Amino acid sequence: MPKELFEKKDFLNFRCLHKRSVYLAYLTHHLLILLKKDKLDSFLQLEYSYFDNDPLLPILRISCSKPTGDSLSDYNFYKTRFSINLLIGFPYKVFEPKKLLPNRNCIRIAQESKEQSLPATPLYNFSVLSSSTHENYLKYLYKTKKQTESFVEATVLGRLWLQQRGFSSNMSHSGSLGGFGTFEFTILMAALLNGGGINSNKILLHGFSSYQLFKGVIKYLATMDLCHDGHLQFHSNPENSSSSPASKYIDEGFQTPTLFDKSTKVNILTKMTVSSYQILKEYAGETLRMLNNVVQDQFSNIFLTNISRFDNLKYDLCYDVQLPLGKYNNLETSLAATFGSMERVKFITLENFLAHKITNVARYALGDRIKYIQIEMVGQKSDFPITKRKVYSNTGGNHFNFDFVRVKLIVNPSECDKLVTKGPAHSETMSTEAAVFKNFWGIKSSLRRFKDGSITHCCVWSTSSSEPIISSIVNFALQKHVSKKAQISNETIKKFHNFLPLPNLPSSAKTSVLNLSSFFNLKKSFDDLYKIIFQMKLPLSVKSILPVGSAFRYTSLCQPVPFAYSDPDFFQDVILEFETSPKWPDEITSLEKAKTAFLLKIQEELSANSSTYRSFFSRDESIPYNLEIVTLNILTPEGYGFKFRVLTERDEILYLRAIANARNELKPELETTFLKFTAKYLASVRHTRTLENISHSYQFYSPVVRLFKRWLDTHLLLGHITDELAELIAIKPFVDPAPYFIPGSLENGFLKVLKFISQWNWKDDPLILDLVKPEDDIRDTFETSIGAGSELDSKTMKKLSERLTLAQYKGIQMNFTNLRNSDPNGTHLQFFVASKNDPSGILYSSGIPLPIATRLTALAKVAVNLLQTHGLNQQTINLLFTPGLKDYDFVVDLRTPIGLKSSCGILSATEFKNITNDQAPSNFPENLNDLSEKMDPTYQLVKYLNLKYKNSLILSSRKYIGVNGGEKGDKNVITGLIKPLFKGAHKFRVNLDCNVKPVDDENVILNKEAIFHEIAAFGNDMVINFETD
Amino acid sequence: MGIEDISAMKNGFIVVPFKLPDHKALPKSQEASLHFMFAKRHQSSNSNESDCLFLVNLPLLSNIEHMKKFVGQLCGKYDTVSHVEELLYNDEFGLHEVDLSALTSDLMSSTDVNEKRYTPRNTALLKFVDAASINNCWNALKKYSNLHAKHPNELFEWTYTTPSFTTFVNFYKPLDIDYLKEDIHTHMAIFEQREAQAQEDVQSSIVDEDGFTLVVGKNTKSLNSIRKKILNKNPLSKHENKAKPISNIDKKAKKDFYRFQVRERKKQEINQLLSKFKEDQERIKVMKAKRKFNPYT
Repeated sequence: MPKELFEKKDFLNFRCLHKRSVYLAYLTHHLLILLKKDKLDSFLQLEYSYFDNDPLLPILRISCSKPTGDSLSDYNFYKTRFSINLLIGFPYKVFEPKKLLPNRNCIRIAQESKEQSLPATPLYNFSVLSSSTHENYLKYLYKTKKQTESFVEATVLGRLWLQQRGFSSNMSHSGSLGGFGTFEFTILMAALLNGGGINSNKILLHGFSSYQLFKGVIKYLATMDLCHDGHLQFHSNPENSSSSPASKYIDEGFQTPTLFDKSTKVNILTKMTVSSYQILKEYAGETLRMLNNVVQDQFSNIFLTNISRFDNLKYDLCYDVQLPLGKYNNLETSLAATFGSMERVKFITLENFLAHKITNVARYALGDRIKYIQIEMVGQKSDFPITKRKVYSNTGGNHFNFDFVRVKLIVNPSECDKLVTKGPAHSETMSTEAAVFKNFWGIKSSLRRFKDGSITHCCVWSTSSSEPIISSIVNFALQKHVSKKAQISNETIKKFHNFLPLPNLPSSAKTSVLNLSSFFNLKKSFDDLYKIIFQMKLPLSVKSILPVGSAFRYTSLCQPVPFAYSDPDFFQDVILEFETSPKWPDEITSLEKAKTAFLLKIQEELSANSSTYRSFFSRDESIPYNLEIVTLNILTPEGYGFKFRVLTERDEILYLRAIANARNELKPELETTFLKFTAKYLASVRHTRTLENISHSYQFYSPVVRLFKRWLDTHLLLGHITDELAELIAIKPFVDPAPYFIPGSLENGFLKVLKFISQWNWKDDPLILDLVKPEDDIRDTFETSIGAGSELDSKTMKKLSERLTLAQYKGIQMNFTNLRNSDPNGTHLQFFVASKNDPSGILYSSGIPLPIATRLTALAKVAVNLLQTHGLNQQTINLLFTPGLKDYDFVVDLRTPIGLKSSCGILSATEFKNITNDQAPSNFPENLNDLSEKMDPTYQLVKYLNLKYKNSLILSSRKYIGVNGGEKGDKNVITGLIKPLFKGAHKFRVNLDCNVKPVDDENVILNKEAIFHEIAAFGNDMVINFETD
Repeated sequence: MGIEDISAMKNGFIVVPFKLPDHKALPKSQEASLHFMFAKRHQSSNSNESDCLFLVNLPLLSNIEHMKKFVGQLCGKYDTVSHVEELLYNDEFGLHEVDLSALTSDLMSSTDVNEKRYTPRNTALLKFVDAASINNCWNALKKYSNLHAKHPNELFEWTYTTPSFTTFVNFYKPLDIDYLKEDIHTHMAIFEQREAQAQEDVQSSIVDEDGFTLVVGKNTKSLNSIRKKILNKNPLSKHENKAKPISNIDKKAKKDFYRFQVRERKKQEINQLLSKFKEDQERIKVMKAKRKFNPYT
């Protein structure tokens, strides 16, 4: 707009903005006439839009309509998907910049008392001032680009990085991540090329490569605080062009992100909110760590993955808040806060005000339970037709420019479930903080005395097995402070929580999913038993008693419940080692017998001296072809069960010798046997120890892996995939979260596991896990142990860290390459999962049939697709946990005579909880033979069917009948896939190993009917339905 | 040619069909479902295996009683006499496919490993009491196999042994302790005796090329010597690049004593990074070619 159109004081009270609107309307009108004249109006479309979502800055957008039929014009640029934004700018320095500083008020309103000063209007000031600086910044960036060779490339990197994380130049005051787009990134980079340090030292040099420039900016964002502790000043247009003053970091924060241009008096980061800035800073920090990681390749995590596509993956918890306010005149009464003229000048729009209010309320209410918060106004519009004066939105049933508000949280897992929100200490005279606290929480607030004698204001919350405490806090705070009628949806969160089996324990419905006390009880019971066994006098003294069961690492699908002996995980594995002895027999059967002799001795001692413990022996079939393994099962008085097996130093040698001695065609079988032995006896110790250790730092790992196991079992996959493999896959989003954050909620962790599986191209990529605690945690432990305040330099950190070194990592990669050289398509081994514990990567994943592996991937893909297209809701979540039985060649429904749900220690969802409680066993039967009555017969059936048909069929069934077996836990299903090789005819040979019928006098084909009859006859009464296609 | 016309396979096997009983859960079909067993006269130099029929594809859970019943039915129909003795090598679930004991030591196995015979899965030998029995049965089988084409209704119906619910549950029952003790006692007694025997044999018999008698200590089953030989059989290290084991001298030597050592090490580290960089470049080329390099998908 030409200078003549303005007067000196036009920057006040929207005057210049009104003038611009008129100007824009006039321009549009005449443009329309011209377009008609030139016959361009048939495909050119005009509409108004708020530039960067700033309602003070309407622009004209020119776009093309889809060409129809033969009326194709040469000027139609529809295919380019571009549109033209016509911005109306003001002349440079048309208004006095000083008067438009962020702390000035430029919207004067009438007020009653003169003493009260008017609030600053930073958003308005910015809008006016920045409208006059377009040309200035164009010159500034152009000049910098000329001086810096790689400036453009670095900008491309920055643009990509921001885009993948959902950042843009849009206003973030009305929700959404924003205020930091490519423009802001380039300005920051330009400023840093000209200083930026505390002593104006240069952060970036003109000769830097694009990578160095990018990394420099990221590092600056990650390490320098531009909000609370300081800000950055720079000069875009120095008065004295010969010597441009350097950019300088100043130790003074304005509590708002600040990148201040001394020349134009514009704060480039005005559009950014504090919460938006905090998230940016965190992403920068994460990216900096990735850039510094020389071991793993992080390229795609930094640049190729778009993480903002699905909110539930990016954020831990999402709440949709509906604000049904009814008619317009009800606004003031339904909102708990007033949006008066003061607020209007400060926030400009009601949406900005609401976003600000909700953010503040949630932040204060949740405190350190969350790390970051982000508000999104879903359904917000910024375009409107040229016949209208502003955006009209009627979709949400309210008069806001949005349908509903989505509150998105990144949770702090270690603090999120604490029961007490602590406020300020109590004092005789009420301090202001205490008043604020009391006022905020109202009836919830109470005074409490703590163990250390302090009396504090606080709020007490109660945990629940079906939702996190955060849900109740958000609910309470928003209803109290935003609107009484606010409806906060947390159905999906509940839904996921309710898929975790509820243990039959006292007040389990009120126990958080993060509470591991049921596991601790089992461990305590084990510790007592441990002491007893260690003190026994045996011919060979006990060297170690190593717990390896899944409950010891908090990963068993069902929580340990006393006397719930139908649970397949009830008997927790323990490995017993004796002092080394050369006398162990050098032959495997005799070795197992000798081991059993020792176990018999222990059993004798136990029954003689500790009569409260009961025990029995059973045959163990975990190692194929070794039919002589006997385990000692001990039942503790507390109601837990442990299964002891003996490991000697000779076992491994014997299994290896068997491989060496075997005929070539048997070798693969024996190698499997060896792998099974290693997994069960040797690696299990390391696996359990590692997972147990690090899961304390990943609070949500236990519930996530248990939910993941439930999902696997629902889809009949857990019979094929070992517990350990499932656990390793599920820990990936925790130990290697990039580009996301470490999961902070059940559903977030679970979805990330699914997402990972859906994207894992196991043919080309190994999964290499660094099973260590997060870096911050390691640092904390050392700091407390060495003494607070001691600085640890990066070198010591590196030494102390147990991370994989480059050499180790490369070694593992080499193993994978070698493996794929011999099996390029992954037909024999699909999932290469390696860690320090198992550099070979094949220990837990060998022997999975190819169709099962591909099914896992396919199921995860379908699930992720479903959720991304239809979002999370009751139906989609139910679908996630519904098995697709139609894909199999045949399906056999089984029913057992006795339901096992209650004896698996699982509470039914019925209202009469007392009744189910009574059915659950509360002690072990007098005669231990009766234990078998409440065991799962279908497991044995499937096991033998698998043995019989392993050559021609792949059979799947559910492992946890108590969890997935219907209301009573008495239903199971066997599904069968006929191996592709056996779908056609074969030449008749005696070693065909499958049930066949002749097709002619030379060839035979699989005799499906006979197999079905056999399976039906084998299952006998348990088979209630048999579906074949 | 329909399936019912096939009475014998080209390679000499007679086709033996059975009608199958209905099951309540299975959809009822128009025609009765059939199971097909294949039989052939077994030829072997092994005296143990004379007068045997080689059977392929036995029905589920077949045992000698089933076979006796079947042969009885068969003989009754065709008026002849035949007696079966036992069912050999019937390992339906493949539990004994691999004899771990024999593979780890020859102490406990009765036969020589080399002479051990392997019958494929899903096959068995049916032993008859004498040559007349097997001849009679064979002739009757031939007639029976032709029955399918002419009188399909006269085919025998097979009765499965159906395990009950308790059968499966019984797998969970505790082992009897007295039985276990007895079993271990007898086994260990035999083992110790054989071990002592073997020890004696070894000590008295090893005479090397030059005529010296090799003296072997009582406890020579030194783990280290065994370990080295078979450790490379470990399937876990199959895909590993074999690294040279570090000798004791190398272990003791200081690695940062001379300046050149430090320099070498640094150089190595840099080289490592450089090679990684080059690899990355290669990878990017591959990724670009595969069009995976697209951040906008």
